Amino acid sequence: MSRTTLIIGNDLRRRLRSPMATILFLVIPLAMTGLIGMIFDPGQDNRTKLPPIHLLVVDNDKDIAAKFLLGAFDQKELKEMFQVTLVDAPAGEKLMQKGKASAMLVIPEHFSADLADQKPSRLEVVKNPSEEFLPGVAEEFAATMAVGFSALAQVFADELRIIRGFRSLTLESVTIAEMTPFLEMARAKIIALKTYLSPMLLKVKSVTTKKPGQEGKPLGFNIFSYIFPGMLIMFLLFIIEPSLREIQNERADGKTRRMMFSPLSSLELVTARIFSGWLIGFLVCLLAMAAGMLLFGIDWGRPLLQLALFAIACFWCSAFFAMLNAFFRNKNQAGAFASPIILVFSAFGGSMLPLEQLPAGMRWVGKLTVNNWFITGCRRIMDGASPLLPLTLLAVTGLAFAAVAMIALPRRLSV
Amino acid sequence: MQQKILEIKNLGKSYGETTALANFSLDLAPGEVLGLLGPNGAGKTTLISILSGTLRDFSGSVAFRGQDLFADRRLKNRIGIVPQEMAFYEDLSALENLLFWGGLYDIPEKELKRRALELLAVVELSTRAREPVKKFSGGMKRRLNVAIGLVHRPELLLLDEPTVGIDVQAKVSILDIIREVGRKGTSVVFTTHQLAEVEQTCSRIAIMDQGKILATGTLAELIRIVGEKEIVEVSGEFSATAFSEAIPAPSGAGIEILSVSDDFAMLAFADSQDIPAMMQRLFAHRLHVADLKIKSPSLEAVFLKMTGRSLRD
Ligand SMILES: Nc1ncnc2c1ncn2[C@@H]1O[C@H](COP(=O)(O)OP(=O)(O)OP(=O)(O)O)[C@@H](O)[C@H]1O
Ligand SMILES: [Mg+2]
Repeated sequence: MSRTTLIIGNDLRRRLRSPMATILFLVIPLAMTGLIGMIFDPGQDNRTKLPPIHLLVVDNDKDIAAKFLLGAFDQKELKEMFQVTLVDAPAGEKLMQKGKASAMLVIPEHFSADLADQKPSRLEVVKNPSEEFLPGVAEEFAATMAVGFSALAQVFADELRIIRGFRSLTLESVTIAEMTPFLEMARAKIIALKTYLSPMLLKVKSVTTKKPGQEGKPLGFNIFSYIFPGMLIMFLLFIIEPSLREIQNERADGKTRRMMFSPLSSLELVTARIFSGWLIGFLVCLLAMAAGMLLFGIDWGRPLLQLALFAIACFWCSAFFAMLNAFFRNKNQAGAFASPIILVFSAFGGSMLPLEQLPAGMRWVGKLTVNNWFITGCRRIMDGASPLLPLTLLAVTGLAFAAVAMIALPRRLSV
Repeated sequence: MQQKILEIKNLGKSYGETTALANFSLDLAPGEVLGLLGPNGAGKTTLISILSGTLRDFSGSVAFRGQDLFADRRLKNRIGIVPQEMAFYEDLSALENLLFWGGLYDIPEKELKRRALELLAVVELSTRAREPVKKFSGGMKRRLNVAIGLVHRPELLLLDEPTVGIDVQAKVSILDIIREVGRKGTSVVFTTHQLAEVEQTCSRIAIMDQGKILATGTLAELIRIVGEKEIVEVSGEFSATAFSEAIPAPSGAGIEILSVSDDFAMLAFADSQDIPAMMQRLFAHRLHVADLKIKSPSLEAVFLKMTGRSLRD
């Protein structure tokens, strides 16, 4: 057995012998995920639906496109999701200030006219800052609607222009006979565009639900799979950090010196410690993956790819803390700095609240955190998208940290 | 002439202003058990750290069986070191610790296992071999600490104050282990500030202070340094200054004050007939003497003569 594997084995054995800390760091994120998810009323099966989002709508347009938009909220599935109240602007603002709704959608003046004229128009979403997920969902929904509307407006530009002619009329007074030629034109276009439109319309669903469009399944939103990756990476940091801090502890109590009595090289020791941090993290990931599936019905997407992401993220954490410990002077410093660093990463990186909820000025900080890369990677794999970018970021920075650790840490070990 | 197992030449090491070792030279023959005596801060741990390869930036040279000790990492397989602190995993058992620490050396696994069990018997921990070490008493931990240094069958064993902070019984058993190891042909260097330990255990003794060797030799050789004298220990109620005034040293009358502190003094007499005269002077100066012991010269007297310092800190 090589000296490196001996040390890794020994570290693992010691971790497993007093597993409370590790288990706690696995149970806490599961419990927190469960708790947050619970607030949103668990569904019949594991798949949980969001509670109805209380949405205020201010209609400054009062024209056909606005009516169409409002009509959309009356559809069966959206009706379950949104509880819409039509208000005027001052009343809406007052209600928002009192926190009486999750979000307020403002349809601008001339919305229909601008769409018909192919002019840019803007839907405004005012979010309730005290709520975390629901306003975000409303915002994404509005964004999707905007995409859909602009596409529709472009495709049906002609029809809209003609319809504009009827603007002064009420819809009831327009007879079917008068509408027929336009309806016929529209019908032809719809048939021609069907193949293009349907994926786009499906996308509405996929964005709102955070799931790839699955026909036949109810419009569901697994809140757990939204929360859990962020929790997992935060606690992975907490789980892996002590393995690397052990370098400082053993330096203080003479074990490192005793190791150096043997033919073990300091590089072997650093390598061993990076891998034992990785190993414990990865084992926890395997448990977390299983627990996520069994407890919360999380669909991890492609599990093997997800495992690769976990492995690389654990390596990142291990290499990162190895590097930090090369610069910490002693175990007190390591103890004092590690937790704040993890908490800052987690606060900015999306483990505690979604990145979109941060003030815009702080979002870029979040984009530089391991938490954000991990969460993004996880979601992309769940959504069937390519996780290449976050994976590459994790791998490249992880390797760089490991290299720095391997150069700087051995110097700390002698003496 | 037999090849030396260890030849230390002109070692020097400073920490900034502090000189820990200066021109330190020492030889060790195979099978020798050498006691290195020195007061706090003498440089004992510094020496052991250099020999164990964990302290760099020093001057001088160390040869192990004629080879530069630091040239070949594999030489570490032939040296065992017992550090001053108890460095092992408290959450593992004694056996697991021996297997882990031994595993860092190049020994076959089977051999290691056999050796670990054998050593547990030597240090009388066989019955507790599978308990977590944190449940051990201080003395048991010390014994394990020594055993870990021996697990890879080193030719040379270095121990840094292996008996510090344990009771008499545990101390005796550690010294027994050291003697036993020496008898089986392993060379041993151990540092201490306990004179009695050295007297009982070592085939050769080195006295060091302030980074230097002051004297080496067998116990008998060292005692000859003090000469054929009587050692007198006086205790009572007096201050060091009052005592020194009463007995001006050197008096020329063959009385030498080896050490004096409040309430205790040690003197060397060339002629024991001078002892009553000394007592009279003490009474004349109204110093209260409670006890007086006359002894033959001991290592303690040698040490006091060489360093002018007491070992007891
Ligand atoms: N890391 C260090 N930095 C600065 N000075 C040091 C360091 N280590 C030792 N010294 C100094 O070097 C000298 C020798 O110290 P050393 O630890 O070798 O003594 P020692 O003989 O082992 O003492 P003790 O009996 O107390 O263990 C002392 O003056 C000590 O203060
Ligand atoms: Mg010391």
